[in-house]
Amino acid sequence: MMFRLSSYVIKGIWRHRARTMLTVSGAAVAMFVFCFVGSVQEGLERLTSDEDAQRTLIVFQENRFCPTSSRLPEDYARRIAEIPGVKDVMPVQVWTNNCRASLDIVVFNGAPPKQLQTARKLELTSGNWGEFESRRDAAIVGENVATRRNLKKGDQFSIGDLDVQVAGVFTSPVPAEENLIYTGLEFLQYTRGLDSAGLVTQHEVHLTENADPDEVASAIDEALRAGPVATTTRRKGAFQTSTLSDLVDLIGFAHYLGYACVGLVLALVATTTVMAVQDRIKEHAVLQTLGVRPARVFRIVIAESLLLCFAGGILGTAVALAILNWGGLAIGAEGVTIAFRPSIQLAAVGLLVSASVGILAGIIPAVQAARTPIVTALRQP
Amino acid sequence: MALVEIRNLSKSFSKGDEVISPLVDVDLDIHQGDFVSLMGPSGTGKSTLLNLISGIDQPEQGTIVVDGVEVTKLSRSKLADWRAANLGYIFQTHNLIPVLTAYENVELPILLLPLTAGERRRRVEIALEAVGLSDRADHYPWQMSGGQEQRVGIARAIVAHPKVVVADEPTGSLDTKTSDQIQVLLKRLNQELDITLVMVTHDSEAAAIASRQMILDNGKIIESIAEHANGASSEQHAQMVRGK
Ligand SMILES: Nc1ncnc2c1ncn2[C@@H]1O[C@H](COP(=O)(O)OP(=O)(O)O)[C@@H](O)[C@H]1O
Ligand SMILES: [Mg+2]
Repeated sequence: MMFRLSSYVIKGIWRHRARTMLTVSGAAVAMFVFCFVGSVQEGLERLTSDEDAQRTLIVFQENRFCPTSSRLPEDYARRIAEIPGVKDVMPVQVWTNNCRASLDIVVFNGAPPKQLQTARKLELTSGNWGEFESRRDAAIVGENVATRRNLKKGDQFSIGDLDVQVAGVFTSPVPAEENLIYTGLEFLQYTRGLDSAGLVTQHEVHLTENADPDEVASAIDEALRAGPVATTTRRKGAFQTSTLSDLVDLIGFAHYLGYACVGLVLALVATTTVMAVQDRIKEHAVLQTLGVRPARVFRIVIAESLLLCFAGGILGTAVALAILNWGGLAIGAEGVTIAFRPSIQLAAVGLLVSASVGILAGIIPAVQAARTPIVTALRQP
Repeated sequence: MALVEIRNLSKSFSKGDEVISPLVDVDLDIHQGDFVSLMGPSGTGKSTLLNLISGIDQPEQGTIVVDGVEVTKLSRSKLADWRAANLGYIFQTHNLIPVLTAYENVELPILLLPLTAGERRRRVEIALEAVGLSDRADHYPWQMSGGQEQRVGIARAIVAHPKVVVADEPTGSLDTKTSDQIQVLLKRLNQELDITLVMVTHDSEAAAIASRQMILDNGKIIESIAEHANGASSEQHAQMVRGK
C-alpha cells in the first residue's frame, strides 16, 4: 500500500527540487566528513590491533624518537636471534623526508630483500623480486605512495639525497605498509648524510608461535643492556602509537567531529522536513479526508525524510570512499604512517547512519503531520 | 431506514470566554438518492455539519449512523478507512494535489481500496468520463481552469462509489457560467448515477436544483416544504425538523 503512494512521495520531493538538492548535498558533505574521520579512526585502530602489530616487536634505541636518531649496531640481530621465542630478526634502516606530522610523508625502509620477502606478506602488482634484489638502487613502492606520487615500474624517483629506480609496486594486507618504499639495507646505510655503515635504525623481531611478546621484549632489552647502545623493545602496535602519540590525540578529537557531522545531518534534514510538512499541513488533511490513515501520513513523511537523508548518505559515502581508494592519502610522523582506506564496514556504517538519521529526523514532523486535526488544517487559507 | 440518520447532534466551539454553538440537538434523515441542499448565513455551522457527517470532526453529543455504521463511534484510523470506501468530499477550493495529474488525483482515493490495477483504471476512466474530462487526464491542476479543477475534484469524490457525497460550496469560487455547469453536473450525477448528495450553498438558484432544500439557522435545521420535490409527508417533515 505504501508503494501505491510512492509516486506521490517521489513527486512531492521532486516538486521542491532546489530544496531537495540543497538538503541532499548538505547531508552528503557531512556524511563525507563522517566517513573520512571514520577512515582515519579505522587506520589508527589497525596500527594497534593488527596481528602484525601484536606479534611483531620493534627494537629501538632507548629514549630516541625520530628514526634518524636511533642507531643500533646491525649485529645486534645475531644476539637477538639467540633469545628464546625469537623466530627471525630483520634489521631495518629507516629514512623519512619529514620527522614531524605531515600529510605528504615519504618513508623508506631498507632491509635485506630475501628477509623482506619472507617476513612481510607483500604482493607485487608490477615488477619482480629478482630485479629488486639484483640492483643496488632498486626500490619497491607501496601502492599508496605510487598513487600519490604517480610512480610506476621503471621510473626514477629522487627525494633528498636518495635516488632510486622503481623495480615494482606492491600491495600488502597491512594497509600502512603501502605507504612505504623498500630498498636494500646497504643502499640506505650508505646514503650520504646517514653514514650508517654497520648501524641500523631498528630491528624487527618475529616471534615463534607461542612466545609471549612482552616477555621476549624484556628479555631482549635485558640482553642488550650490556652492549654499546641500550634499547627499548615494544610490540609494533605500541611502538607505533607511542611514536604517533600527538596524532593519536588529534585523531581521538576528530572523533567528535564525526559525531558533530551526524548532528548536522540530523538538524538539516529535520529542518527541511519540518518546513515541507508545514507547507503541506492542508494537503495532508486533504489526504486524510480522502481516506488516508494518520499512520500512513506519518509513514509518508518519514519516507520523504529517509529518502533525502539516504540519498545524501549514499552520495557522501561514495565520494569519500572513492577519494580514499584513489587518492593514496596518508598521514604520518617519525617514519610511522596511518593509511586512510575505504572499507565495507565504513560504507555500511555510513549508509546505516544516514538511514537512521533520516528516520529520526522525520519523526517529529511526521507526528505533527499525522496529529494535526483535519478540520483545523482544512480551514487554513 | 434512512441512509444517514443524525440524532441529537450538537457541536460548539469556545473562543476564549465566548462559546459558539453552531449545531444544537440537530436531527436529520437523508435517504438513498436524496439531493439535499443546505443554505444559511455564513458562520452558522453548515461546514461543521458536513465535517461531522464525514467524520473529520467529532460532535460533542449525538450520533450519526450511515448505512448502519455509527460513524461517531469510530477511531481516527477506522474513520479514514470508512471514508475511503463510503464518503466523497467535494471542497470549495478543489484541493487537488498539485504534483499529481488529473488522472492521479482521481486515482488517489481508490489506491487505498483493495482493487486490481485494471479495475482502478476502469473506475478512474469512468469517473473522468462522467465529469467530461477524459481528454484532460494527463493535465496537472495548474494546467486547468477553475471549473475543470472542480470537475476533477468531483470525479475524485465519486470514483470510489461512495454511499454519500458531501459538497461544501462547490461553486463558491467559480463564475456564474461555470457554476451553472457544475450544478448541472451534480444534478446529473444524482439522477443518473443515483448518488446521494449533501450540498452546502449560498446560491438559492443552486439550492433550487436539489430535491430537498434545508436551511440551517440558530443551530437548527429547517426544511423548506414548499419546494420539497421528494413528496415527503408533513409528518415526516415534522419528525425531521424538531425545532424549539
Ligand atoms: N475549529 C474551530 N474553532 C473555533 N471556532 C470554529 C471552528 N470551526 C468553526 N468554528 C466556528 O463555528 C461556526 C460555524 O462554522 P462553519 O461551520 O464553518 O460555518 P459555515 O460553514 O456555515 O459558514 C463559525 O462561527 C466558526 O467561527
Ligand atoms: Mg463553510
